[in-house]
Order: sequence, then structure tokens, then C-alpha cells
Amino acid sequence: MNASTRAAPSLSAAVRAVLRRATEVYRDSPTTASQLRDQIDRLDEPLRVAVAGKVKAGKSTLLNALVGEQIAPTDAGECTQIVTWYRDAASPRVTLTPRTGLPRQLPLIRTDGRLEFDLRGSTPEEVERLLVDWPSRSLRTTTLIDTPGIASLSTQISARSIALLAPDDRPSDADAVIYLMRHLHASDVRFLESFHDQAAAPAAVVNTIAVLSRADEIGAGRLDAMVSARQVARRYRGEPKVRRLCQTVVAVAGLLAQTARTLRQAEFSALRELAEGSRSELDALLLSADRFVAAQAHPTLPAQTRSALVERFGLFGLRLATNLIRQGHREPAGLTEELVRRSGLDELRTVLATQFTERRDVLKARSALLLVDRTLREQPRVETQELAGEVERILAGAHEFRELRLLAELRAPDLGLSADARSDAERLLGGHGAAMPNRLGLEPDADSGALREAVTAALARWQRRAESPLSDRAAADRARVVVRSCEGMLARLSRDQVSS
Amino acid sequence: MSAVGPPGLDVVDRSISLTKAGDRSDLLQRLAHTRRRLLDPTVRVLVVGEFKQGKSLLINALVDAPVCPVDDDIATALPTEISYAKTPIASLVRGMDDASDPETTRVEVPIDELARHVSEAGNPANRQNLLRAEVGIPRQILADGLVLVDTTGVGGLSSVHTASTLAALPTADAVLLVSDASQEYSEPEIDFLRQAMKLCPNVACVLSKIDLYPHWRRIAELDRVHLAGANVEADLLPVSSTLRLHAKRAEDNQLDDESGFPPLVRYLRNAVSQADRLSRRSVAHDVFTVTDHLAVSLRAELQAQCNPEGGTVLRAELEAAVSRAENLQRRTARWQQTLSDGMTDLTADIEFDLRDRMRQVVRTGEAALDEADPHAIWEQFTEWLGQQLAAATSDNFVWANQRAQSIAQQVAVHFAEDGGELLPELRLGDTPSTLDAVPELAAPHADDPKLVGKLLTGLRGSYGGAVMFGMLTMLVGATSIFNPVALVGGLVLGSKTLRDDKHSRLKRHQAEAQMLLRRQIDDVTFHVGKECRDRLRQVQRLLRDHFSEVATELQRSLTESIQAAEKAAHTEDSQRQQRINWLKAELAQIDAVRQDARALLAAPGKRS
Repeated sequence: MNASTRAAPSLSAAVRAVLRRATEVYRDSPTTASQLRDQIDRLDEPLRVAVAGKVKAGKSTLLNALVGEQIAPTDAGECTQIVTWYRDAASPRVTLTPRTGLPRQLPLIRTDGRLEFDLRGSTPEEVERLLVDWPSRSLRTTTLIDTPGIASLSTQISARSIALLAPDDRPSDADAVIYLMRHLHASDVRFLESFHDQAAAPAAVVNTIAVLSRADEIGAGRLDAMVSARQVARRYRGEPKVRRLCQTVVAVAGLLAQTARTLRQAEFSALRELAEGSRSELDALLLSADRFVAAQAHPTLPAQTRSALVERFGLFGLRLATNLIRQGHREPAGLTEELVRRSGLDELRTVLATQFTERRDVLKARSALLLVDRTLREQPRVETQELAGEVERILAGAHEFRELRLLAELRAPDLGLSADARSDAERLLGGHGAAMPNRLGLEPDADSGALREAVTAALARWQRRAESPLSDRAAADRARVVVRSCEGMLARLSRDQVSS
Repeated sequence: MSAVGPPGLDVVDRSISLTKAGDRSDLLQRLAHTRRRLLDPTVRVLVVGEFKQGKSLLINALVDAPVCPVDDDIATALPTEISYAKTPIASLVRGMDDASDPETTRVEVPIDELARHVSEAGNPANRQNLLRAEVGIPRQILADGLVLVDTTGVGGLSSVHTASTLAALPTADAVLLVSDASQEYSEPEIDFLRQAMKLCPNVACVLSKIDLYPHWRRIAELDRVHLAGANVEADLLPVSSTLRLHAKRAEDNQLDDESGFPPLVRYLRNAVSQADRLSRRSVAHDVFTVTDHLAVSLRAELQAQCNPEGGTVLRAELEAAVSRAENLQRRTARWQQTLSDGMTDLTADIEFDLRDRMRQVVRTGEAALDEADPHAIWEQFTEWLGQQLAAATSDNFVWANQRAQSIAQQVAVHFAEDGGELLPELRLGDTPSTLDAVPELAAPHADDPKLVGKLLTGLRGSYGGAVMFGMLTMLVGATSIFNPVALVGGLVLGSKTLRDDKHSRLKRHQAEAQMLLRRQIDDVTFHVGKECRDRLRQVQRLLRDHFSEVATELQRSLTESIQAAEKAAHTEDSQRQQRINWLKAELAQIDAVRQDARALLAAPGKRS
């Protein structure tokens, strides 16, 4: 994180100042003022990332995998019906916020590690959201929001997710979105578009990552299923329609990731027992889920254990895990590591770190400015004119936002840029991660000499483009934004050198 | 079932020889059709569903051969028809760029090259512009005329694919909706089912990939609840194609049972036997009608021979009947009126409906263009427009189809009422069997491949394929016309331009886009409207020809009866008894044929 381009203090400070002034102006309107004050607090809180997608895309499962614990309830039928927030805290607690009335605490019930929500007489329709406080390192930098599926047969449930992610009346509660899909479906595209409609949002594309979830099923649970899934993800990444809507596409086998991160010793022993039998017998056993759990199917493992295993791993997980044990992963820790790697979760976590975490201040500043902008437009007052000017100045002028905007522009087709120049610009602007080595296409541990060399070269390249008489004005403007990014990096390198 | 030929063939052949003896070439023609239809029965089963549900693999498992390409990524780009053939054969059907020419070209290709044309990888988004692929393979399950149709996956309810799938439904005898066991039914799937039920009542739901999901029983339960909630009465069949293929390879019957395929195969057999029952019914009906015609003159002569004195009464009766049969052929006959009035009304209604739907599209489209920069949303907009137009034309089509059928029924009723009392033995009043002639308009059983086939391919083509396709290319054309303008606009609309200038430019772009939209819809309305009128006119002609023909046959039979009765008056007494015996023998033969035809009706199908 040390070499990252966290938003320059100036942006955060400017946004904070704007929020304070707005709170001052609206102090006589309690709801607005408290909204604005919440937003100030939000600047210091973890980034809010929503996990969204169609019904049964595996949202809760992926959330569990990211947290590394089986906290969100999962089920074969449609399960999550209420927007649920998972936040890091000192002690576990569940709070229910009803649509009308005061928030109240719910009893903490866990069965098999999973949380169970006892709504105490409320129906899901009456609940605005659940807030789960949970002590977890994984939640320290991001608060995760689990959402009900869209395109659900229960239309009301769909509506609730859309209200969270693309509300009509206020800026979105989430700073960024992980969008889960099984294959790109027309309704996925519509949904992704719907939360890019926010007029003032500079370049919403940077705050969305698409995940090809339940990736193991794409290859019908074969051992090489993930290879196929990654290929499909790669194809989607290259598709203009998808590029316009999200930063990147990653394939993840959610169930396997969740189970691998919460692997129990007993499960490992059972897997070993399976793997030690004859290969052909095991293959026959793993032909179908029904066969695997059939009463007398295995000489030593009881049916109950097998049924629990297939529940936790899925057929793909079982095939892969037993195969890995055979290939020599004889320790639980090693197996966990390998399974997590194979599930694609590591890749997703890297992407989340480079795309969201390193850019969190900009994303939060963006959310805050959207709120202020909206408030000013909806409740204009005499004294707000100057403030409105200030908001516009930051939105239009702050280099961080200009970077984001240009990044989004680069993803549109027919820009008159060569493919090389386009990907070069995309990288320098932080499209592959906002940290300096990412921007320069170097290894994370590159020394400052190498960094300086790369920045200088990039700067020269884009200065030429900006000043070339052959570039039209729009192209020159674009080139100047890239130049500015390079200058920023150069300045930071000099600063670091002085301070060390 | 007899090994020689389909049941009923023998009855038809006997009727043919009787007809030849009676020298009735007009009736002979009808029996020839019946015979052809009997020998070439096809039962089309459409396999539909969203993409990646395992449709192609299901078909491969059913026929136990890799006929449809299967891939982890989206695979099927082209509908494929799989039917029986003695040796494996594959061909590609191309054509229908021009909606007015439903003639298609067929090119044979080596079967192992098929994937190059059918799969998304070899033929992305069907760039080769093919209509469909046809595969013939020697498989027992297909031997009774079963034709499986693999469709491209639909993505979302209102997509173009869905529209063309819907348009193909009325031509199908049964539909399998495939959805995998990973999740319960989603909204688009239930909506699709509801629409499909209206067009093809024989729908079954296949729950695929049950090997992969331990919870498939739960999902099946949930799905049944959803089906009941949507009032869709369809069987739910859980299957695993992978297990079936394993089972076939290992010849493992238990595994085959686990795959859930035996009930699916039974379902398909049942669909075949149901179609078989329908076809037997129409065979029996044809035989009855023809033998009725033959019997009329024989019976008239017999009556005259047995009772020479009553000749004048009989003659008067017959002549009255002839004149009424002549009336049936006149333009003023009631069924003729019903037909022409009904069709005129229908054409007007359908056109109005189409215009109305299109006007809605224009209105919504213009509103959308009013609110946004056309350049920014053009790509989405054209896609939306394509979907809307597809939906509008396919809804219009469903409606036209239903109304045309009900008119046909009405005409049949009126025809039967006016002609029925003429000669009770002719059982014209037997409406249901008269109606057997009519459903062929909607469901082709290759009765008259030339006429009906052409009509239906045309219908299918105009709504599902050609016009839609033409429209889409027009849209693509529109985009490329529009883009340069927009691009220049986009560059000029840089941040430094004066606001007013920007505003007026935007207004101009919006106006241009709206004009383009209106012109586009005008074009589509014109083409689809013309297609629609032409098709309906063809339906009208078909119905008129059918009933006129029946009336002509009727008249001829009656006229021949008069001649036969006259002849009887001049018969020598010495020969009379001999003649009577011959007539009785002839009538007995006819009776025997009719007896067998009745047995065809009663013969049990596999299930009722």
C-alpha cells in the first residue's frame, strides 16, 4: 500500500470541507443534515462493496468465501430476501432496521457456523435491512453488502436490490459493486446499465467488477472446468458490451472457495479416506451426486458424512480435492491453499485490492459528492449557489475524477486511438490497479530507479502525443490527462526520495 | 404394429383399388395424399430453453450420438433438426433473404464438418447466414418419424431469438423446455412457458444436469410449485444427459434409470403415438369420405334395381340434392360468405393490431430519444428496438394464427350445416372429422408438402426469420449511416463548446434519430403488413379450394348416382338379379373397408 496513489489529501480534505459546509447550510432540516453527517463518517469507514447479481448466482456463498467464514445463510432455494450488511466490529451483533420504527437487536443464532436470522415476528417485506457486526480481519477494509437476487420470481425481492444499488431518490448506498453472473444474460446487461445511469457519476465503470460465479459448473464439474471458465471470462473481458459496463471479469468457483477457506480437520480426513480407495471406484462414486450419497456406496464413510461432504464441496470440489490429495497434498493447510488458488478466489481478491481498496478514497469521495450534488439540486437555497460551484469544480477538476472519466471513455469503441495506445493509457490511468507499479506495468517490488525510468518514458510518450500537431483537440485533451497522471507519479517518487 | 407399413396403409390401399374400380380420379387424388402422409409421418419436438441449460447435450444423449456441438461456452448458433435416415447425412439450409421467396437452398456437408457451421465458435452469431442445419442418423428412437429440433438458447424474454422460437412453436407437436437443476425457474422462463402453452399445448419441462446438483429434488419441488402457480400443466422430467451417455457406453441399465431418461423417452413415444392417433383419425376420416362417395351411386342403383317402379321419386330426390350441391359451389353459399367476410375482417384487424403495436414502439422510442443523447445510447437503442419489433410482430403473428384457425372452424361448421342434410350417409355433419382438414393449416403433417408446406415455411419465415433478419440488417445499416454524423457531433461537442450550441446540436441529433426511427418502423410495418396480408390471402385460398373440392366431389357423386339409377331402369330383367348381387358384393367390400377404418380409430394408442 505504501507506493499506492491514495487520493491526494487535497481531494479528501476538499470533499470533507464541502460536506461540513453543506451540513451547516441544512442544519435546520434534520433528515438532510443527518444524511450529510453520516456521509462525513462514511469517509472514515471501510469501503462499502455490494455483492449483487441474479437469483442463485451464489452471492452469499461468495461473500462467505471473501470473509473466510460461513456466516451468510445459503440454501438451494432462493434464500437471501433482505439486504444484509456485514461489518467489522469488536463483538458480534445483529441489528434489524425496519421500514418504519426504530432499529432493534436480534438474537444471535448460529447453527453449524451459519447465522440464522430470527426476525421476531417481522416479515421480510417490513425490514429495510439487517446489519451484522462481525469481528473479522477480512471486513476491516471493506464492509460487504449481501443483496437479494434480481430477476427473481418474487418481484418485490428484486426491487429491493435495485433500490439499494440504483435508487431513484438518492445516491447509492454502496461505493462499489461486485456483480455476479453465471453467463452474461440480457437481464444482467440491463441491470448493470441501470446503475450506470446516474447522471453526475463520473465513470461508474470503475466501481464495478463482474464475477463469473459458480464457475465450476460452466465446465460441468469436470477437473478442467476452471480452465474453461477462465477462457469464458477472458472472452467476456474482450467484449465491448461488457467492457463498457465493468472494470474486469473474473471466474470464481464460489462454493469451493467458501469451503476451502473453512476446511475442517474431519472433512480433510474424510477426503483422504476417499482418495485412498481405488481410482476407478472413486470415479464411479463421483459420477453423480445421487450415487455419492447412496446408502452403501462407500465401505467406511457413512452416508451422512458423504452427504455433508457433497453439500460443502460440490462434485467438482470433491473431484478436485481427492485428485489433489492423490497428487501429494497431504496436509490440510496445503490443500486449502491449493483449493483457494484453483477456485479463482485469489485472483478475485487481487483484483478487489487493486481496483477497489487502493482507490477507496476516490470512490468514497465520489459517493459523497453525488449526495451533496443531489441535495443541492433538490433543495436549492440562496446560500447553496457557491457550494454548488465548489462541488462542480471538484467533480470536473479533480485529477482523480478526470482519470476515472477518461478510463471509462477509453472503454467505448471508436475513439480513434490505436489499440496499443489505448491499453497504455488505460494502464497509466490505473485501469489495472491504482498502485504505481501496476500503472507502470512493473512487478510490485520494483525499486524506485526502475519506477522512475518507466514514468519518465511514459511521460515523454504522452507529452509528444499531447503536443503533436496531428492530434485533434479531443485527443490532445485526453493525452494531457495521462501526462498529468505521469507527472503526479514522478512528483510522488521525488517526494518519497526526499523523505527517505 | 405391422412390419409391412404403418397401420392403415392396407385400408388406404384397399380404398384406392375400390376407387379405381369406381373410376373416380378426383377421389383417387385425395387418397394419394393420405397415403403419402401415412408413409412420411413426422413429429416435430422443439427443444428450447435459456442458453447453457444443456439442450444440445440432451439431444446427443437422446440419440446417443454427438450430433449437436457441445461446449462450455455458448455453443449453438443455429437451429438443428435431427431426424431419421438410413445412413448419416447432414445438410445446411440457406435462404430467405427475400421474404417473398420462401424457396430455400439445401447444401449437403460431411457430417463431421457440421460443427463448423452450427457452433458459435465456427459460425459466430450465425455470420454464415444459414437458416438451419438438418441431420439424419440411423437411430431407433427416430424411426417412427420423431424429429428433434435443437434451438439456439434464448437470453432474456424479449430477445429476437425468443420471438423466432415462439413463431416456430405452432409447427411443433411437442416442446421440451430445458432448465438445469442449479436453480428454480426464473421469471423469464415461466413467462416463456406461459406463452408456449398457448401455441403448443404439449409442453414438458426437463430438469437437466441432476448428476451435478445434490439438491435437485428440492429444485424439482420448487419448480412444480412455480408451475402450479403459473397454471402451467406440464410434466417435470428430471434427467442427466451425462449419466445417460455413461449408461449407454457401459450398458448399465441401473445407471440408465438413474439418468431419468426412460420417462423422457416414454414421453416422446407418447407424443409420437398421439400424433399417430391424430393421423389415424384423419386416415379413417378420408377413407370414410371416399367410400361414402363410392357407396352413394352404388346404393342408388341398388335401390333402383330392387324397386324399378320407385325410379321417379328417387330421381327427383337425387336431382334436388344435386342442385343443392351446386349451390354449395356458388359464391353466394353461406360458407363462402363466412370465409370471405371473416378473412376481410381478420386482415383489417390484424393490420390495425400491427399498426397499433408499432405506434406504441414509436411513442416509447421517441420518448427515450427525447431524454438522452442519441449518440450515447444508439447501440442500446437499436438493440431495444430490435427486441420490441420482434415482440410486436410475434404477438401479432400468434393472434393472426389463432383467429385464422377459428375462422376455418366456422367455415367448416357452415359448410357442414348446409351440405350435411343433403345425403345423411355422407356424414358431412360430422364436424370434428371435417375439421381434420383444417388443423393442417397450423400444424403441418406434410399433407400437401407443396401447398401447406410452402404456406407454413412462409409464415415461419416471414415472422421469425426473413423479415426479422432484413429488419435487423436495416437497423445495422441505419447505425452506420448515423454514426459518422454522431461521431462528428461527438467531437464537436467537446467540453469547451458553448452550452447553447451544444444544446441545439443535441436537439438536432434527437430529431434526426427520431426521424430515422419513424422511417424504420414505417418500413417494417409496410413489409410485415404486406407479408401478413399475403399469408392470410393464401390461407383463404387454401380453405376455399379445400371446400370447393369437397363440393365438387359431392356433386359428382350425386350426378353419377342419377346416371346409375337411370341405367338401372333399362336393365334387362334377366340380368337384374346378377347386377343386384354384384352391387351387394361391392357394397359389402366397401363396408369391410369401413369396418377396418373404424378399427383404426378404436385401435389403442400406447396411452389415451
